[in-house]
Amino acid sequence: MASLSLRNVYKRYPGGVVAVSDFNLEIKDKEFIILVGPSGCGKSTTLRMVAGLEEISDGEVYIGDRLVNDVAPKDRDIAMVFQNYALYPHMSVFDNMAFGLKLRKVSKDEIKRRVEEAARILDIEHLLERKPKALSGGQRQRVALGRAIVREPKVFLLDEPLSNLDAKLRAQMRTEISKLHQRLGTTFIYVTHDQTEAMTMGTRIVVMKNGLIQQVDTPQKLYLEPCNLFVAGFIGSPQMNFIDGVILCENDTYYFEFGSEDTKTRAGVKYKIKLPASKNADDRLKEYIGKEIILGIRPEHVHNEPEIIAANPDSIVEADVEVTELMGAETYLYMNCEGQAINARVAPTSTARPGDKIKIAFEADNIHLFDKDTELTVTN
Amino acid sequence: MANRLFQSVIHQMRSTIDCTIGVLDSNFNIIACSDLGRIGENIDAQEFHTNIGSKSTIVNGYTVKALGNSDQLDYYAFVQGDDPLAEKYCSIIAISFTNIKFYYDEKYDRRNFIKNIILDNILPGDIYIKARELYFNSDETRSVILIRALDKNDVSIYDVVQNLFPDKNKDFVININETDVALVKEVKQDILSKDIENLASSIADTLSGEFYCHVVIGIGSTVENIKDLAKSFKEAQAALEVGKVFDTDKSIINYDNLGIARLIYQLPTTLCETYLSEVFKRGSIESLDQETLFTIQRFFENNLNVSETSRKLFVHRNTLVYRLDKIKKITGLDLREFDHAIIFKIALMVNKYLKANPIKY
Repeated sequence: MASLSLRNVYKRYPGGVVAVSDFNLEIKDKEFIILVGPSGCGKSTTLRMVAGLEEISDGEVYIGDRLVNDVAPKDRDIAMVFQNYALYPHMSVFDNMAFGLKLRKVSKDEIKRRVEEAARILDIEHLLERKPKALSGGQRQRVALGRAIVREPKVFLLDEPLSNLDAKLRAQMRTEISKLHQRLGTTFIYVTHDQTEAMTMGTRIVVMKNGLIQQVDTPQKLYLEPCNLFVAGFIGSPQMNFIDGVILCENDTYYFEFGSEDTKTRAGVKYKIKLPASKNADDRLKEYIGKEIILGIRPEHVHNEPEIIAANPDSIVEADVEVTELMGAETYLYMNCEGQAINARVAPTSTARPGDKIKIAFEADNIHLFDKDTELTVTN
Repeated sequence: MANRLFQSVIHQMRSTIDCTIGVLDSNFNIIACSDLGRIGENIDAQEFHTNIGSKSTIVNGYTVKALGNSDQLDYYAFVQGDDPLAEKYCSIIAISFTNIKFYYDEKYDRRNFIKNIILDNILPGDIYIKARELYFNSDETRSVILIRALDKNDVSIYDVVQNLFPDKNKDFVININETDVALVKEVKQDILSKDIENLASSIADTLSGEFYCHVVIGIGSTVENIKDLAKSFKEAQAALEVGKVFDTDKSIINYDNLGIARLIYQLPTTLCETYLSEVFKRGSIESLDQETLFTIQRFFENNLNVSETSRKLFVHRNTLVYRLDKIKKITGLDLREFDHAIIFKIALMVNKYLKANPIKY
């Protein structure tokens, strides 16, 4: 069993920097959990505390049922893979994987067994006699993983292991690591700043900011039901659109109003987006009537197709197209609507060009609303 | 040099031993042999390499024995044949070669020479004489990287670093004391400090990932003459000392990036206290919460750019503006103004320095 439990964990550095605050997380055995967040959010520090490479300022870390706060890293039954792995240039792949075990005085037969087993899992048996300089980037990465596998740990800790690889290789290695997790059947904790990696690999994702957990959930739930403005903005690419406006209520129907109409000159336009009744469950919008609020909508829920516009007459706005990017399977439109930036992910057949003023419609069911002061989600 | 030395001894032994004898390098290539025509051949023993050690092993009709007992095996003695006599010859040859190599290395020990330079144990005038004696290129670009272990570990950092940088003609790994290991690395002339930091980072990651060693690494500036290595070493040491105060959360500290931290580190504490009380007339620095301090740090890192900082912090631009206004209200300093920002930045660093309990004077 290699479940993990972090209870009220803090990391404070001398000089007052608090890297991790009140971190609570239960990780189940064989789970693939991802810690994600911008640089400096404390994700690597958390991982290093689990590894025992950073002292825990406060709180408790359990691996299985054992409290490991004061257990030396080598006795925690973990293995780590970091971003800047280095292979021993004069050693063969076999020796690179065996070196750590040799220094730990593991018997030769046992080393041979473990290295060959790891090589089989990673499909690098044919490379065992090669030197690192004769390996490709992906093969080197596998050797680095192999060095961790030969330790036969209960928990794998991976700290941005793919950051040094190019985009194509990174995508390939993502799949490899997911397969490896399935084959090994052990617990994986994976740190990344790349939300695509997080979304594609993890069974659960922990989103962190400023040393605090923002949300822990499955990739799908994080995407569809972010708990606050930060998570909504961090997860998803291109980023969710955020529009400042106010909540209005007319005849028991709620509207989100935004725009830049000048009260004196009447210049500019104000838009009213009708909010579906489902967004007002428990009458939660009542307290926001007349107050400023932030509307969030993902680019794929902003449309310029005439039939969708016709089907959503209560959520149409006009926007100036500033930039278009054809990505192949889709086109990104970067627009400006009354001073607010709006991005849309539309069909590649879209004819919108920079300088055009086009009509766009929001899928009202996929609108998110956020409290402007607390930045917490009001409704998803 | 070792090849010639081995060959000369083998040449003398040839008439006494009536079978082919020689020395192999770590890749099992023949580098010295009683049969000169075979130098350069490979005896194809890779698959046995894990078995060959301090005991004689028979490989493809040869008796092979490693020279020395270290974990890193550079040379092997071999005798053609697999009978007891061949084994006996092999053992005797291995003993004599091990000793010859030991005395040779001691006399022409380049690592010891570098160690004496960085620790100022050699007179400046003698550096060039000794360098000439050792055929040592004095004008290569080099950098000193100082690795300090923060906790006790069963694994020798020295062994690991030596294996990461096995080229003994270009890179020198030196044990400084119980916790510190210095790496004097030959680098390209136009190397960027970022590349050296990446190198240091790969050392730190390998030590943590493979051997669970928690280390901090100080980097001295690159130097173009061997006599300046002592300066680079001292800079690497200073980087670790200053980093202990100002960059407590970092494991790689480059002397070139210390900036004003280096200056503040040398200021009298009384002067620092006076400065703090002058800057924070209205409210103390302690009245700022963690979130605010974090925001300020990011604002400085992004060159006082509000849009960029808000993007990096994943907060709305107006939220950041509101926070900056709040700071202005508390401290009287508007961080969007360069003069105020620099006052605040220095004040934060001075505060950090004072909190690190320096010697009061």
